[in-house]
Amino acid sequence: MQRSGTLWLLLRNPNALVGGLLLLVIVAMAAAASLLYPDDPSDMVAQPFMWPGQDAAYPLGTDNMGRDVAAGIVHGARISLAIGFASTAICLLLGIAVGALAGYFGGWLDDALSRLTELFQTIPPFLFLIVLVAIATPTVATITLCIGVVSWPTIARLVRAEFRALRRREFVQAAETLGYSHARIALQEILPNALPPVIVTTSVLVATAILNESALSFLGLGDPNVVSWGTMIGTGREVLRTAWYLTAIPGAAIVITVLALNLVGEALNDALNPRLGVE
Amino acid sequence: MRAYLSRRIFSAMAGSMLLVPPLVARADTPKRGGTLKFLVEPEPTSLVPIADTTGANVMISAKVTEGLFNYGLDFSLRPSLATGLQTSVDGKEMTFTLRQGVKWHDGQPFTSADVAFSIETLKKYHPRGKATFANVAEIRTPDDHTVVLVMSLPAPYLINALAGQESPIIPRHIYDGSNPLANPHNNAPIGTGPFVFKDWQRGNFILLERNPDYWDQPKPYLDRIIVRTIPDAAARSVALETGEVDIGGEYLVPLSDMGRLGSLPQLGIETQGYAYSPNVHRIEFNLDNPYFKNLPVRQAVAHAINKDILLRTVWYGFGVVTTGPIHPDVARFYTADVVKYAFEPSTAEKLLDEAGFRRGEDGVRFSVMHDPLPIGLMHMQTGEYIKQALGKVGIKVTLRSQDMAGYIKRVFTDRQFDFTNGAMTNGPDPTLGVQRFYWSKNFRPGVPFSNASHFSNPDVDRLLEAAQSEIDLHKRAEDFYGFQRIVVQELPDITPIAVKLFTIYNKKVKNHTLTADGIHCNLADVYIDS
Amino acid sequence: MALSRTGRVARRLRRTGLQAIPSVLGIVIFNFLLLQLAPGDAADVIAGASGAATAETMAALRAQLGLDHSMLHQLGAYLWNLAHLRLGISAHFNMPVGVLILQRLPNTLLLMITALLLALTFGIAAGAVMATFAGRWADRLLSILALLFYSVPGFWAGLTLIIIFSVRLQWLPSDGFTTVGADLTGIAYARDLLAHLVMPAVSLSLFFLAIYARLTRAAMLEVARQDFVRTAEAKGLSAFTVTVRHILRNALVPVSTVAGLHIGMLMGGSIVTETVFGWPGLGSLAYEAVFARDFNLLLAIVLLSAIVVIIANVLIDLLHTWLDPRVEAI
Repeated sequence: MQRSGTLWLLLRNPNALVGGLLLLVIVAMAAAASLLYPDDPSDMVAQPFMWPGQDAAYPLGTDNMGRDVAAGIVHGARISLAIGFASTAICLLLGIAVGALAGYFGGWLDDALSRLTELFQTIPPFLFLIVLVAIATPTVATITLCIGVVSWPTIARLVRAEFRALRRREFVQAAETLGYSHARIALQEILPNALPPVIVTTSVLVATAILNESALSFLGLGDPNVVSWGTMIGTGREVLRTAWYLTAIPGAAIVITVLALNLVGEALNDALNPRLGVE
Repeated sequence: MRAYLSRRIFSAMAGSMLLVPPLVARADTPKRGGTLKFLVEPEPTSLVPIADTTGANVMISAKVTEGLFNYGLDFSLRPSLATGLQTSVDGKEMTFTLRQGVKWHDGQPFTSADVAFSIETLKKYHPRGKATFANVAEIRTPDDHTVVLVMSLPAPYLINALAGQESPIIPRHIYDGSNPLANPHNNAPIGTGPFVFKDWQRGNFILLERNPDYWDQPKPYLDRIIVRTIPDAAARSVALETGEVDIGGEYLVPLSDMGRLGSLPQLGIETQGYAYSPNVHRIEFNLDNPYFKNLPVRQAVAHAINKDILLRTVWYGFGVVTTGPIHPDVARFYTADVVKYAFEPSTAEKLLDEAGFRRGEDGVRFSVMHDPLPIGLMHMQTGEYIKQALGKVGIKVTLRSQDMAGYIKRVFTDRQFDFTNGAMTNGPDPTLGVQRFYWSKNFRPGVPFSNASHFSNPDVDRLLEAAQSEIDLHKRAEDFYGFQRIVVQELPDITPIAVKLFTIYNKKVKNHTLTADGIHCNLADVYIDS
Repeated sequence: MALSRTGRVARRLRRTGLQAIPSVLGIVIFNFLLLQLAPGDAADVIAGASGAATAETMAALRAQLGLDHSMLHQLGAYLWNLAHLRLGISAHFNMPVGVLILQRLPNTLLLMITALLLALTFGIAAGAVMATFAGRWADRLLSILALLFYSVPGFWAGLTLIIIFSVRLQWLPSDGFTTVGADLTGIAYARDLLAHLVMPAVSLSLFFLAIYARLTRAAMLEVARQDFVRTAEAKGLSAFTVTVRHILRNALVPVSTVAGLHIGMLMGGSIVTETVFGWPGLGSLAYEAVFARDFNLLLAIVLLSAIVVIIANVLIDLLHTWLDPRVEAI
């Protein structure tokens, strides 16, 4: 009943529909990348600086080294989504673990973990990310990990607050009197009830991760073995005056993806927190 | 009995005649006044290149801090703070006559003590100074305007290393008794040059003003120089185009933008003025690597790479396809008479097969990592091309990106690399700029830009060491020819491109490139024609 | 009453000050240790940029930069200096870190405050409009616009602005802080500065604008349902007065909380914007410091932004007591 209601709310919401559809298209594009463009998108395949539409074989043109922009966009979707989702998973894992421990046990553990969270939050996040990437040498794996490591404090705070509130509720106290283990209470009783705000945040986290990856690549801190949208913008920036399509096209790809994620997040928010929605 | 070579240069008349600009119509009389807006990238880290010879530092320094000599476009000596030089026949004694009546910008007189102090300091701290002044056993200052270098062995290269950008003459009274690396005047230099340091707003601009007491009156012609830094490459192009800045050089604007900039009527491009320190692009192997230690594998790589594509797509034609480690612009020592490696992927495949590196089921013979030098885009783009080209002959290349500190540590300290690529300077003389990469005694883990390939060849060592102290120019050239032949045969590195650096300037700026170091020189002759 | 409130504020400040010391210490030690993990050191960077080196130059550089000591010794020396309010010498810029930061701080503050003010003004205004017309077309349009702003990467927004206003229209300079060498004063200087400031400030503010708009909307809808608003309406106050004086005022609590968090983020978070527009601020300085392994400089910037975050939190608490009298300045 509750679930079908949520689904219904989602489907009724035009934002969710548009966002979901866009996201579906991007995921399909990423999944089919190897079918559409089986070759390495960083191969130089044609004459450099062909504008979109100039040659039907390269519908989005070629870049300064003669690489196919369309191939880059399609393969870039893969990198962006992979990094977006994987780093969010890491972030959730860390954030929920820290937040749950702190919120469930309270006391000195809560103090210590809260201090740690605050410590992480006082460092400007993007600067922190750059430091981590400089330490780790940028590859897809390290970038994913670094983004996850930088973004967990938000989730930790959120989960801690939920756990603290739920910890005092009757059903938890009842579980305690039944002699359930801490792990069982935390994971089976509290966690499911603490999840809705986390779920709402998830799509925003994925979106932020994609933005962070693109900013890193833009600054030249991406994995050089893969083509990412940020890298494409970074190389295109050099020739902003003569070939602005090289920044505009991958930029639009990022905007559309992030927008789709945010639309979905918005809809989830409306569905799970109906009181904030449109009356 | 002392006999001297007749190489003697006189100041005053002869000197100024030598300084007549060979490129500019004689009828032009320089105009006084005006501001030159000089673009550098990145922002200098210091304005006196003693230990930190970052490109931008070197580019600005000589406007304030001069050297003993300048060098004509043909590398002929031009007097600067030294007006004459006598070298003994055995090459072991060099006597410099210094210019009289020169004053530091703070009013103190310039004397031989400053020169002696500077050479001692450079020998100790300058990254090339140790090599340049290695044979200097004693520095004598018989009077205020004479300096004698007594050498343990002749040092024929030394004479080429005395430009202001390479061996700046610093004021002893400012530096004496302190750690020269920590001296605050490195950021607010006091020199003898045509321009006086005024102000440095970090991240914004450096202001240099005309030295009214300059020794070479009526120069300088400009009232002031504003040095600007613009972090974004595309914005630098725009600034040159709009006239927000007047001149700049080296890797300043994206090469991809040069086609457009070159066609603008107000802008000119000058490729002269870089012979003093020309760059050769190298693809360097780690010879301790299990694959690259095999000569046929290195030969295969050489055959698999199309240098013309590199020149066209990475360097946008700003260079020439070359043959070996010495830049063709160093005409005295360059030879094209070396083994050539044509672009023949089939030969590459054959060599690899014969060496026992056959393609596996996935078509891959072996996998290696490539670490491009983290400067500019061209090295990473070269890496991207190498990855694609070697992939076609069955060598799987993975690119690794890291920042400068990470790169230096990986390649030179930890030696955790397979192969790398980067453009590196030949320096003012092959002994100073080239030898370091190939001399087995310079295999020194922990020292950046040493012999990273771990190349060791007794014949190369012998030739390089002979060239170090050979005073006969022809014999010296023969030594370097021999060196080039062996190195290209043995392939510790592949040297595909001799880079053509260039100055890009607003056409109203005149007389900017009169010496082998072009806009690195003091700009005393520059004037603005409005 | 007034006195006791002042007392509470003083107590709060004193407690925050005491709490800040271990936090700051923790931040310094954590970051110091973290940075030790980065490969290479400042001497490597200088040698790399110089394109040449000898063992002797490297040793001299390391000795000068204090890198020839053990890690613990370096940490101890750093903390000792810090205790005496000495931030050390920047390895990369070869000058005192304090001076360097003071040179850049005004630029960063100018950009940050302008961007935040833009974001707050337009964000709150848009949010108020959205809440007032909730569910109608103005709300939907602004919502989508806000979502779009929220989704645009800052650097791409910057580049797009450059293409439009610098490259195509040639209205605004694409780079820098002021026109160097123009020697402007007075009004002309202010105009020049403004022309340079507009694009970086706007591209930096978009993201925050979107957040404030959405927050304001949500908070206003929430507040509008509460009793004191109904009371106000029942008293016959005009809709506008109720909206501004009662609903908006209370809705500002969450907005200012989030804006406070953003101050810290912006101190170091404008790296991308500063890079795109060549704005000589702390963000680009920190960015350079990372790659130069200039730890004195980087630690000082991190420290500064941490202190700003702590101060901002206090100020926001105080602001809340003023905005919403129900919140106690604990």
